[in-house]
Formats: sequence, structure tokens, C-alpha cells
Amino acid sequence: MSIRARRRLRRLLSAASGIAAGALLVAACSGGSGNSGTGGKPGTPVSGGVATFALPAGATPDWIFPFIDSAHSSIDNRNQFEYLMYRPLYWFGQNGQPVLNDELSLADPPVYGNGDKTVTITLKNYRWSNGEAVTAQDVAFWLNMLTAEKQNWAYYVPGGLPDNLSGYKIDSQSTITLSFKSAYNPDYFTANELSQITPLPMAWDKTSASTAGSCATTVSSCPAVWQYLYSQAKQVSTYATSPLWQVVDGPWRLAGYQTTGYSAFKPNPKYSGPVKPKLSEFIEEPFTTESAELNVLRSGQISVGYLPVTDISQEQLIAGSGYSLSPWLDAGINYFPENFNNPTVGPIFRQLYFRQALQHLINQPEYISKIWQGYATPTYGPVPVDPPNPYIDSYEKANPYPFSVSAARQLLTSHGWTVRPNGATTCTSPGTGSSDCGAGIAAGAKLSFSLLYASGITEVSQEMQALQSTASQVGIVLNLSQAPFDQVISNSVPCKPSQASCSWQLDNWGGGWSYSMDHFPNGDLIFGTGAGDNFGSYSSATADSLITATDHETGTLPADENYLAANLPAVFMPKADYQLTEVQNKLQGVTPQEPTFNIAPESWYFTK
Amino acid sequence: MGAYLAGRVAQAIAVVFGVTIIVFIILHALPGGPARGMLGPEASAQQVQQFIVANGYNKPLVVQYGRFLDQLVHGNLGYSYQYNQTVLSLLGQDLPKSALLLGLSYLVALVIAIPLGILQALRRNSVVDYVVTGASFIAYSMPSFWLGILLILGFAVSWRLLPAEAPQGATVAAVLHDPLAMVLPVMTLALVTIAAFSRFMRSSAIENLLQDYIRTARAMGVPERTILFRHLFRNSVIPIITLIGLSLPVTISGAVITESVFNYPGMGLLIWNAATSHDFPVLLGSTVVVATATVVGSMLADVLYAVADPRVRLS
Repeated sequence: MSIRARRRLRRLLSAASGIAAGALLVAACSGGSGNSGTGGKPGTPVSGGVATFALPAGATPDWIFPFIDSAHSSIDNRNQFEYLMYRPLYWFGQNGQPVLNDELSLADPPVYGNGDKTVTITLKNYRWSNGEAVTAQDVAFWLNMLTAEKQNWAYYVPGGLPDNLSGYKIDSQSTITLSFKSAYNPDYFTANELSQITPLPMAWDKTSASTAGSCATTVSSCPAVWQYLYSQAKQVSTYATSPLWQVVDGPWRLAGYQTTGYSAFKPNPKYSGPVKPKLSEFIEEPFTTESAELNVLRSGQISVGYLPVTDISQEQLIAGSGYSLSPWLDAGINYFPENFNNPTVGPIFRQLYFRQALQHLINQPEYISKIWQGYATPTYGPVPVDPPNPYIDSYEKANPYPFSVSAARQLLTSHGWTVRPNGATTCTSPGTGSSDCGAGIAAGAKLSFSLLYASGITEVSQEMQALQSTASQVGIVLNLSQAPFDQVISNSVPCKPSQASCSWQLDNWGGGWSYSMDHFPNGDLIFGTGAGDNFGSYSSATADSLITATDHETGTLPADENYLAANLPAVFMPKADYQLTEVQNKLQGVTPQEPTFNIAPESWYFTK
Repeated sequence: MGAYLAGRVAQAIAVVFGVTIIVFIILHALPGGPARGMLGPEASAQQVQQFIVANGYNKPLVVQYGRFLDQLVHGNLGYSYQYNQTVLSLLGQDLPKSALLLGLSYLVALVIAIPLGILQALRRNSVVDYVVTGASFIAYSMPSFWLGILLILGFAVSWRLLPAEAPQGATVAAVLHDPLAMVLPVMTLALVTIAAFSRFMRSSAIENLLQDYIRTARAMGVPERTILFRHLFRNSVIPIITLIGLSLPVTISGAVITESVFNYPGMGLLIWNAATSHDFPVLLGSTVVVATATVVGSMLADVLYAVADPRVRLS
């Protein structure tokens, strides 16, 4: 909208008495309980305006089909692009917590029955932009697609959806009941399984532009429909124009798109959800580097941007340009794995006392305050300590292994090691007794390890050097080396001791894990035996049994969480804030930001 | 001339071919590989393997290179798995915008550098000469990203006269729709080029001013303006023609950085994003294009040199 048009609108608004403005304010502030907070200082809301949202450096939304495969799965594609147009069945993230947001969900809260072996989903009165209702059949369409194409679903986990489904029944146009092969913990199933479902419109049930498909009713016809939709999604240049992708049930439709990821969204005039967009346009702008984004931010040309941690000293300068800083925390934990299967040092890593000693050497509060300038949160176990969430238990939250060099030394000396500060601590009491070094550790074995970490992140480098220095006080030698992020994550693969790929010892890619699609933080995907993302090959029968229990029984998460926090399946490190968001003071409704990475710009509005 | 051109074309093809081999080997020697780069740490090993097989990265390097060459000679530069488009269509979108940036910066640079160099030559060892020389050294020694940031700080952040970022339009027409936003990126590239070209122009003009034909013309009473424009300008500008050809690779690399600083959606941004996401097809395709542009530029410079200077005849 041009300045002139905005002025005209302002005049119109003021002429229309305070009632309209008051009503808008009420709508803006109460309607967005999904994102109900306000960003900067309050002001009189104005309708319209273009908000520009800076995408993280290098992030490029480039996939529109919400049945997303692993090659395209990313936060930029899913949470901050597709979800604006195609709403998930259940929206997670409310008031800065990773919990179910009833208001922004397409369906009422799921109702579990038959001993938690069934779940009934009742859809609300949503409509697609082509006028059709969002129905149970649309959910069935997605489920059928998943059954036929589970290998092409990025979040498919063997044993999870659709493997654990014995069937589904459409009870009415708005109700569908899913039956499971065994009972499931409702908390787990809603957060980790139902949250992944995105109803698909009947307008997409096609095998070509002119040929209707029947995937919504017949699984066997889904591959052809998937092929067609996938081929359409590959035609990136048509995203903003293809009639296919213009059928939306979310508050936004794509009005402009460039292959760089530059995306312009206009309000969906037929949006039937509770929070209608107030902006006239929402733009997502990609940036090559954080520096490029910072330059634009400093000049005040962006509505919602971010401040790189390394430039935190510029906070006041940016504030002077009319912005407010709001750290964006994600529901995640940070850790780096020890390779439990490394043929040389794996036996040492398998000793709990050693993992405890190593954890005692990590001064998380100091790393957070000195290295991350306060913009990080501690990790003490599989459940994030921050942002606030209903899952964290007091045991984990209290930090089972606080920083203590003396405690680390005591643990080593009491287990048969002769500690040599600034040298290499040596095993002098091999064996499996309670005061011995432990199984597989020979006399003379040294506590010397290679630690590969991701280059290019100053703070991670500082953390590793701090850890190296502290570890040397108890004779643990950490031989640091750096490599690009891609190399580190390629290096840290689950392996067997006999494999050549098992030579790595400690790998830190600097990012840990975000529970962005698996909101129930039981650690199954990262610490379960044989899990694809259990990079260090941690294996504990107790942990596996506790994890399995969390999948199927309610109220079992604390036991699992506290066991993993105590058993240290990896080295826990502070989790950096996802982003230091800078919000223009005249833009409201942006905060609190959701730890699930979802954004809801329909709640945003400018003020005078 | 024909034989010469044929030889140069053959040479150019050989150079481009050599560049593809080197780049291909370097890219595949990069640690990490494209699969993890694309899929990230949360992708399972099975998904990584699926990606590797789907894109043929499990095949021997020679086979992969052979396939790439086969596609290349058929005008197919590959398919970008990040952008879900053919590399050719990506280049088709972004190359014109980069060409616009480069073209404008060269134009500005030539329009300023040539008169400046001649002025310096005519007023050599004067205050004007010293000031321009000093400024040229400062601009020339400044990395383009640094110069860009300084210009942003001055013109966009402090004085708010110009936008901090380049136009975000998808096409050249859309870019031209926002000419103010092009000023800083063009000036960033142009200032460094002006510094280099004006130094060469100055040297060349000084050398020509000392030539007999200038002295003769002056002795014959030819007006100074005619001497400057007809004789001095034409003869002095010849080295600049060569310089444009030779400076093309440097300017293109400068453009990559400048586009990144100004968030300009051109080829530089494309290459940058491809490099950070290990998008091999785009990296290979853009390298081929840049290498081709460089050898063609160099070849054109040679030809233009012969056209501009009748004394030079290629055999």
C-alpha cells in the first residue's frame, strides 16, 4: 500500500469514529490468542499495511506441497510458508509454549476412546477458498496419501503413522475416527502424530490437470495423485499462479513468488478461521547473509528482522531505529553425541561416571552469560528447560550435574583413574569393579579424545575452547578440530565398531535437536536404540522401555525424562535462542513467538 | 583473422572444458557431500541414501562427469534439487539481472574513469592528480564488501537517502522499476573499477602524450580539442579494452560479493545459496557460464583491440 493510500485509509478510519478502531483493537488483541501478545508499545491499530518478515540467512522457501518429503522439509517451507496457506489439523504453539493451540486448530481437541485405542476428530467449520468445506474426507485424503507414500513423507518413522493405524472411519462430514493397533498415550499421539496431518482439498485429488483421482477414498490411486501433485510442486515458477495452489484453507494465499524465496502473501478473503488478517500484504524476504539482513534492519526497511548474536552490541542502535528486541526460543535441546560404538574410546563413553564427570565440566550458566550474552537456555535432559512447557520435571530442571571440577575429579579418581591435570589422566585400575575403570578399558588407557565441531559459529568455537580448558584441569584431553557443518553432521553417523565410519569420537554440529514436528519431547528419535537420529548409538534397555511407555501410557514422561537426564545419552550444552527477533514498534501481535517456529501474521497489525 | 579466431575458439572450449573438470573434482572432494547439506541433521540415514541414489551420487566420479558432459553438450545444465528447476531456467532468470548490474557498473566506471585518467595525464603531478591518485588507491585497495557496507552506513543508515538493499524484483524490468535501489550496488562495483581503470587510463594517456604524433599534431597547429579526442583518446583507450576483458572474472567475483551485501537476487546470490546448500548442479552450471563469459570476454577484447588499433593485425 502506498503512503498516500495509507493516509487516505487513516483519514477514513478516524472519520468512522472510535467505534471501528475500538472494535479492531478488540479483534486484534483478543482474536489472536494463538499469538495474542503484542510486540512493542500499544497504539491505535490501523487496518492494512505491508509487513516484511526477514527469513533467516540462506533460508529459501521452495516447496509448496504440504505432503513434504525429506529433501524439502524445513522450517522455512513448512512452518513459515505452507502453514500460512494450508493449515495443519492441529496447530502447536500458544503464548510462547509448545502446546496445542485449540483456537488455531482446524479441529476440536481430539477425543480418545476404547482404552486409548481410538481417537475421534471433529472438524470445525472451516472452508477452502474455493468454497468447499474442510471435511473428514480431506483428513482421509491425507491419511490415504500417507499410507501409499509413507517413504515420501519426511516425518515417517517406522512403527508410527500409518503403520500403527488399524483403520479409520468417517463418521460424518466433520468427524473421523482413527483406530490404532495398540493403545496410545493421547499426549504423545496428538503432539507427535496428529499434529503432522494437514487436510488436503478435494481439488487436489487429481492425476492430471483434467483427470480426477480418487486418493481421498482409495489408497491404491494415491501414487498417481502424489506423482501429479509432486510434479506440480516442482514447477516453482507457477506457485503464485497455479489454480491448484490457490485453493487454501489458511488465512493467506500466495500472490507473488520468486525462486530466491521472496514470497508475497495476500489475505485469503474467504478465510473462515477465527483470526482474520489485518495486514494488506505479508512479505517474506530471503537474505544471503546475516550481515545483509542487518544492513536492511539498520536502515529500518524491514518489519520483523533479527539481530545476529555477534552483533548484539548494536541492540541500542537498532532500538533507536524503532525496533524492540524479542528473543525467539524454540522447543529444543542442545547436545553433542559421544560415539558409544567407537572401537577405541567407546568403552570409556559407556561408563556413566565418565559421562557424569564430563557433564560436570560444562559450565552452562557461564557459557550462557559470557558466550551467548544471555541469549541461550540450559539443557539438562531431553526436555527443554525453556521456553516454559508442561513437560519439564523438577528433577531435570534442577540440573542433575552442575558445574563442578572437583566433582568431576572425584568421579574419575574413584573409578580407577589417576588424574593428571594438564596432562592425560590414565586408567590405573582396570576391571569391572565399582572402583575400577570399567569394562573394555585397559590399564594405561588415557582420557584423550578428538572433538570435531562445526566451524563458522564463533560461540560454539568459544564453548569448545572453554570446555577444552576446563577438561584439562582433570586431565581430559580434548583435541579440537573444526569442519563445515555439513561435514560434521555427515561424520557423526550411527555406526558399528567394525565400520570405518565409526572412527569419530565426539562431534558437535552446534544445533542439537528441535522438537519442531515431534512436540512431545520423550527423546525417542534421538536416544532410542537404533533410532535414525541417535547419532552416538546410545543404547539403554531402561531408556528404551521408558520411551516406549511414554508412547503408550499417560503420565510416564517424567520417568523417561529424568532417567535420560541422569543417564546422559549425550553431552548436554546450552541451547542458543533460535533468533533475536527485532520487531518494529509500530507492528503489534508478533510476540510471543511460538517455539514451534510457526508464525501467524494474521494476528499482526500496524498501529498509528 | 579467421584462422586466429578459430584457434581462439578452440582454445576457449579447451579452457571451459578444463574448468569443468577442476570444478567437478573440487566439488566432489568437498567434505559433507550434497545429501546432508540438503537434508540437514534430522534426515535419517535411509533418506540420505535415497537422495544419493536418486541424484546419482553413488556412481563413480567418471560416470557422473560423463553424464554431466553429455547433458552439457545437449544444452542441459542439470536440475537444481534446491530450487526444483532446471539450472538453465534459473540462470535465465538471474543472469540478466547480474548482467544489468555488471553492465551498469562498467558503464558508470568507463564514463568516469576515462575522462578522469585523461585529466590526470594532462594535469600530471598537480594537486588534482595527487588527490585523484590517492582516492584511486584507497578505492582500489578496499574490498568490495567493505566499500558496500560503508556506502550503506552512509547513504542508507545515517542519511537515509538511498535504500540499503537492491531491488527485489524477479525480472530486469522489475529491477529497473526501482532505480534508486540500484545506485549503491552499482556504485560499489563501479568505484573499485573506476580506481583501476583511471590508473591505466592515466598511464596510457601519459605515454601517448609523449609520442611523436601528438607533438607533430601540436606543431602543425591542430586544435587541442582535436588532439585530445581524435588522437589521444582513441590511442589511450586501447589498453582499457583489454582490461575490460581481463577484469571480467574479478568483476564477476566482486559481483557475487556485492550481490550478497545488497541482497540482490542475481547470479551472485544464486551461486552463494548453491554453495551454502551444496547444490552441485547450480554450482557446476554457473561455473560453466562464468568460465564461458570470461573466455569470450577475453576473446572479444583481443578482437576489439585489433579493430581499435589498425597497427595490430592478427595473423
